[in-house]
Amino acid sequence: MALPTYTIRPALRCLRKAYYLGPGPLSSSHRFTTTALRQDEAIAESTIDASTPAPPPAPPSQYLDPEMVSTPRQERKLFKTLGLQPIGSRRRRAALKGSDNVPFEQMPYQCFQEARKVLQEDREIKLGQIAEMRRRIARWQNTPTAECGGEVAKKGKLLRMHRHLEELKVLADINDPMIKKRFEDGMGDMNRPIYRYLADKKWRAYKRRILMQRISQMYVVPDMFQHLDPTAEVSLAFGRRNIQPGEFVDSRISEKPARLKIQPFDKGERLVTVAVMDADVPDEERDAFTSRCHFLAVNIPVSPTSTSVPFSKLSKESHIVLPWLPPYAQKGAPYHRLGVFVLQQPGEGDQAKMDVVGLQESMARKRDRFRVRGFAQNHALHPIGVHLFRSKWDEGTDAVVTRAGIEGFNIEYARKKPEKLPYKKKDGERYR
Amino acid sequence: MPPPRIIVSSLARPCHACKSSRISTPRFLPLLFHRTASHASQGRANKAAPGPGKRLGAKKGALELVVPGNIIFRQRGTHWFPGENCAMGRDHTIFAKEKGYVTYYRDPELHPKRKYIGVVFQRGMKLPVPRNAPRRRRLGLVGRERELTTMAGVEVPEGEGLEVGGITEAQGTLRQQTKEARSKVPDMKRLELRPGYQYRESNYSIGRTAERAGVKTRQLKKGGRVLHNLKRKAKREAAERRAMGKKQKRQRKGGSKGGNI
Repeated sequence: MALPTYTIRPALRCLRKAYYLGPGPLSSSHRFTTTALRQDEAIAESTIDASTPAPPPAPPSQYLDPEMVSTPRQERKLFKTLGLQPIGSRRRRAALKGSDNVPFEQMPYQCFQEARKVLQEDREIKLGQIAEMRRRIARWQNTPTAECGGEVAKKGKLLRMHRHLEELKVLADINDPMIKKRFEDGMGDMNRPIYRYLADKKWRAYKRRILMQRISQMYVVPDMFQHLDPTAEVSLAFGRRNIQPGEFVDSRISEKPARLKIQPFDKGERLVTVAVMDADVPDEERDAFTSRCHFLAVNIPVSPTSTSVPFSKLSKESHIVLPWLPPYAQKGAPYHRLGVFVLQQPGEGDQAKMDVVGLQESMARKRDRFRVRGFAQNHALHPIGVHLFRSKWDEGTDAVVTRAGIEGFNIEYARKKPEKLPYKKKDGERYR
Repeated sequence: MPPPRIIVSSLARPCHACKSSRISTPRFLPLLFHRTASHASQGRANKAAPGPGKRLGAKKGALELVVPGNIIFRQRGTHWFPGENCAMGRDHTIFAKEKGYVTYYRDPELHPKRKYIGVVFQRGMKLPVPRNAPRRRRLGLVGRERELTTMAGVEVPEGEGLEVGGITEAQGTLRQQTKEARSKVPDMKRLELRPGYQYRESNYSIGRTAERAGVKTRQLKKGGRVLHNLKRKAKREAAERRAMGKKQKRQRKGGSKGGNI
């Protein structure tokens, strides 16, 4: 981490001054320090006599630059005064603070420039391949089916070619440092394949693993769905509170409708259905558990760039089939698992649309015993994203339930006394 | 293994070379004669001594009814593993966790070599359950009605969500308010967490309840007759109380002395 100028040890400061006398960052003289200085700081420093103690430093001109704030205090100040969030990691910001902002083309390192040349050549090759691939796809599409060896063969070939084209698009940009920087700053344009690729990779590296672990630990598979292979990132929040997969959520917090962020990593807009299902509703009659639907909405358009799905802002006429029912658990019952499922609707464009009015009528009385597995099967829906949270009875549940007007809640569960085996009378002969 | 050393006298093996010496030496066994045991005389070598049987094995056969806690199989080591609705004890004993019927089965998807013991709820049920089928779970609870104890029935007026110390809708706790908003909250509604984990109003505020309620008391004239009489009455009563106290003390003292005599 680069240190601010005034904290560098005096000896090191002298050393630096000794050789750093060049005109500025554009000089071709090599510097052998591990920590680079910003140009303006370096010049200001060279005027100070090494023998006299350094005066307290004046605040830098870009004191509250969101690119460069590197202490928690400064970050807070930045947010308070300018209302800005710092960009990138603190480590990165600190490094940036101590560097001359020299563009890559002007970096005075021969080897570095040679390496850049290699990468640029590679990119040129890839661009050529992309153009070639596009040409071949167009040619193949125009070829009559009979010549291609049948419908299936043609489709398969085209699919493979498209897949290869997407790969090439990623490979063309993957070595560009500016792309990497922009992605890490969160400025990546999700319309471009490279940023989608990087985002997907990042999600799969950690968040998806956690999600998959929770799914198997809490038996979402097989209790709610037979198999899940999420391809879109789903994050859940109630108001400003972000919920981690499997977290216990206070009933007062989950009273208001949730907010989803659905981030697909493949291009194009699609329509999705969102279903929230409770899989642990006690069913005393059958001495088993049943399920309940807490929310159902259809025809929600989602694309890599439009990701936010606030349940409260969805239209009642065109999206919502079953409005939000606050999750609740009766006292003494084991915790309830609530699965949030994002299901992609089959077809494209208007073909994919589902009949909302019809669903509203048919589902009106089917909240109880709703099973997302069967629902998806009936409507040929494919799960692309999952999230889950848990809920148990807490001191706020009674009020939440009363406000929501839920009936039959006032039940407290206690453990059933275990039955004993019927007493078997021993054979009388043995005791004669 | 070393060859058995049997030191026998030369008598045992007569040879022609020493015929003459045989005649000259007397015939007796040497003093050093040693024969090591080739077979143990004690211990389990001659007779197996198994000790008492440990009564291992199946205690419940397939399809037999069990209730929670029933032992199904006793074993040394894990010949059998606990499957559905079963668990394994400290000494590898398999016992039931649910009421049902015992099933002995294999589950190659879970483990190719292990044998499992499970309990199914109904006689016809098969184990193992397919991987993607929902689990079969029993509630095992009884419900009884209860009163909703919270302020659920109490109507919370609009915009006054500060009564409860916990989270309330939109407004949050007192501490979460801005300074300005906090100052507007009347004293009696400032419910704070006090010793004993109670959210209640402060003692200062309780003391001012009458004032808030506008309770009027009679204003007495200073130095007036009414006030004078009241004070005299109070004094007299106080004196009486004190006298009573002394009397009782004296009585108690006297009683104990009397007991000594």
